[in-house]
Amino acid sequence: MTPEEKYELFEQKVSGEISSKEDETLSLLIDNDKIVAEEFRVYKEWSSYLDSNLNSTQEQSDLENNLKEAGAAFFETKSTKKEIKVIRIPSWGYAVAASIVIILGVYTFSKGGATYSNFVSIPELSITERSGEDGLIKKAEEAFNSKSYNVAEKYLSELLKNDSANSEYLFYYGITLVEQDKNREASEVFVNLQQGNSGYKYKALWFEALNQLKQENMDRCAELLKLLPQDAEDYQQAQELLKKL
Amino acid sequence: MGNNKTHADQKYIEALLKNDTIVIKEIYEKFAPKVVGYIKKNSGDESKAQDIIQETLIVIYKQATEKKLVLTCPFDAYFFLLCKRKWLNELKKNTTKEVTINEEVVSINDESVQYADETLVFEARNELFAEVFDQLGKACKELLKATFTIKSMEEVALKLDQSYGYVRKKKSLCIGQLTKMVQSSPKYNQIKNLL
Repeated sequence: MTPEEKYELFEQKVSGEISSKEDETLSLLIDNDKIVAEEFRVYKEWSSYLDSNLNSTQEQSDLENNLKEAGAAFFETKSTKKEIKVIRIPSWGYAVAASIVIILGVYTFSKGGATYSNFVSIPELSITERSGEDGLIKKAEEAFNSKSYNVAEKYLSELLKNDSANSEYLFYYGITLVEQDKNREASEVFVNLQQGNSGYKYKALWFEALNQLKQENMDRCAELLKLLPQDAEDYQQAQELLKKL
Repeated sequence: MGNNKTHADQKYIEALLKNDTIVIKEIYEKFAPKVVGYIKKNSGDESKAQDIIQETLIVIYKQATEKKLVLTCPFDAYFFLLCKRKWLNELKKNTTKEVTINEEVVSINDESVQYADETLVFEARNELFAEVFDQLGKACKELLKATFTIKSMEEVALKLDQSYGYVRKKKSLCIGQLTKMVQSSPKYNQIKNLL
């Protein structure tokens, strides 16, 4: 058998176009000649390699782009978080400490069920970056902290008109919406924040999980909770809630 | 490994195959910190870690596409081992750098090691095949590209204005040539028993 005939037989076998007689010939050849057996093994490897590599270039490049974005977002968030730790701890620290105290003091997770009211802990609104809109900010803070969420929504919405990307306004605006059962609008706000790289990224994820819990979408809630990284502020609570779900 | 049950972490492999953004983000959130920590402890930085993670995920994707990779062990240890070995290979390439290896942060079982080994052999094979394919003549390259992307041999024959029999024969000769080229490569001898 010439090498040409041998390769053609290999090809027929690999592409499933081999007749039973030729298949028998090839099997005999492979069984009796280790060199041919090895050649056939490499031939099959090539076929599989070419099929995969010459075909999937578009899919692979789409995945590469997506991985680049996900990687960049992950590493940027890491470094942003570090900066935030340094710059914003004075304002955040109090809010965090206050939330933890409230959480520990008020909620007894072992007794409560997996409900929104058992797990939500609304942080106090204390706008950290003052602009020229002090009057409006003060009204928003007063309304929010006195739980007049419909009023706070209006003021925060006013503030957002001039500063639509302000993640702090957006986060608290989202809370006013959840508290008023405007769940769909709240989701839009929180999902938007999650996709960004602000310090509210994971707070927004946590609140979106609570938003889903409030609507009794338990599966979706659990999916979101699993996305919270271990170093997120609400990680422990998320784990508690996951256990109950 | 084939007798064991598919692990729940197969979802990460599926996510790569489906290019599922949410689960891909989850992969970074859950598994990247450990890799970053290891690379930083061993003469690297975050930017190197980002490259190693991306390259590793692409290799896993390729293996899943071509070899239908099915995990029966946790993704965590498998992925970490792969990243670690890739990083050590990277360090070895740069001999001027002093290498201090700080060992292990995850518990590694035999199955994870076996999976990681298979993926590394698969990657070595890919690198060798890519090199060899580059050396192939232009006519063969074009014919193979046409036959593997168009799929229907009849259509390829029509496009190349040749008979079906001729195209199939030519295809087999080109792959035969690649087979010979690879077998005569010294690198092939290092991986052939592992393939």
